[in-house]
Amino acid sequence: MREVAVLGVGQSQFGKFPERSAAEMGREAVWAAIKDAGISPKDIQVACASRLYDAFVTAEDVLKEVGITSIEMVNVENACAGGATAVRAIWKDIESGRYDIGIAIGVESMTTSPVARKAIPPGKNDLEGHLGLTMPVAFALMARRQMEECGATVEDFARVSVKNHHHGCLNPVAQYQKEFTIEEVINSRMICEPITLLQCCPNTDGAAAAILCSMDIARKYTTNPVKIIGSALLSGDYRYRQKDLTFSPLCSKTAKMAYEMAGCGPEDVDVVELHDAFASEEVMRYEELGFCKRGEGVSLIRSGATEVGGRIPVNPSGGLLSLGHPLSASGVRVIAEITLHLRGQAGKRQTPNAKVGLAHMMGGWAAGLEGGPSCGIHILAR
Amino acid sequence: MAEKVPVREGTFIEASNGGALLGNKCKSCSQIFFPKAQFCLSCFQEDVEEIILNRRGRLYSYVIAHMPSTHFEPPYAAGYVDLPEGVRVFAPLKMLEGRPFKVGMEMEVVIEKLWQEGDKEVIGYRFRPV
Repeated sequence: MREVAVLGVGQSQFGKFPERSAAEMGREAVWAAIKDAGISPKDIQVACASRLYDAFVTAEDVLKEVGITSIEMVNVENACAGGATAVRAIWKDIESGRYDIGIAIGVESMTTSPVARKAIPPGKNDLEGHLGLTMPVAFALMARRQMEECGATVEDFARVSVKNHHHGCLNPVAQYQKEFTIEEVINSRMICEPITLLQCCPNTDGAAAAILCSMDIARKYTTNPVKIIGSALLSGDYRYRQKDLTFSPLCSKTAKMAYEMAGCGPEDVDVVELHDAFASEEVMRYEELGFCKRGEGVSLIRSGATEVGGRIPVNPSGGLLSLGHPLSASGVRVIAEITLHLRGQAGKRQTPNAKVGLAHMMGGWAAGLEGGPSCGIHILAR
Repeated sequence: MAEKVPVREGTFIEASNGGALLGNKCKSCSQIFFPKAQFCLSCFQEDVEEIILNRRGRLYSYVIAHMPSTHFEPPYAAGYVDLPEGVRVFAPLKMLEGRPFKVGMEMEVVIEKLWQEGDKEVIGYRFRPV
């Protein structure tokens, strides 16, 4: 059981690039991570890549672009938590001592996928998918309950979008770098009441990569490595056990496991990157991740504390809403963002004195299970 | 006469009273499942019996969708209905003139055609305000 460091991170430009192949976008992210780490491609001993749509030997296909072949490569999928799953896989390989240095990659081409410009459906045999369920429908049903039970308003959801789009303006690789007002968010095209277009993450193409290694190796490159101090990946329980749609037991349980391994609590976290595919969702995650008490997510978004410059910045990168959401890349991209903050390299969106960061992703849908039945959380520290 | 196929086998019965949803119940721990489970997913006992669920329940949440789903063109309504057996069902909803949806509203199941697939009619369930 060894400590695992984050040696290098990288991501590609996020946006709509239907002409770019996954291999090309992956190459951009991987090469950036290799340069950031200061290693040679031949130092990588193991790889794990995640891609959801049109996936086919993704790791092999991406890594051939940078001269990496003939090592162990695994390809994984867990919907929006795929990237977190890839990070977890490499973490396990190093933590167990099986390997000393590996790379986690996430890549997605949403604009060329079968769900481009569509409301994302669940799996093709999913009963609820046949009965009208899509991802915006699912989250609108939760949002309606948030309004019914927690006093959330459409303005509160719009606040999340305004905040994260403002953060996107501070991030040169964000798909959208444009400020919006609460009115503009609320008056944008209706998708599924009460969710409007600017409360939804866009179709994004992109890739991210993270190189993890043992502490022995990390210390050859830096005196103060970023460490992964908590890692948890968990699947959801049956929905018949979830009485309250406004709270994900899975997210809460996964967070507790990560905090326990890390030996810290939510009060110790300085910066957060989490799954904000829909603006209303971010408010739920505040509670599940322990950044406020149950029922107080609305107060937290209203307080401004989760803005860059606030007490606990959430999604300083711009999040899925503004930076964008290439599904399988996001779980790796959040590791990259947290790492930058811990190193003091996050530019205009830097969290001052960031010592501990939390990277969360969750996703997927299957009738009969809690919404978003895959959740992966990593806690990083320096 | 078009051939009729159920959206999912064993999820409903048609009857003169309007039909109902079908679930099953574990004889050992009483957990109820909709749709039916092959065996009890809670205690793993294989002895489960079919039950006819209540035709009425309360609307737990609803949405009016403005983007198409696999089979429905917008605008269409969908939501969760809580049946008294403790089952929460996701289903498309029938929008009735002058009856806007409200959380907590009493809803009733309707067994009817959901969509056309080639020359087949796909039959399933919706809920409508009582």
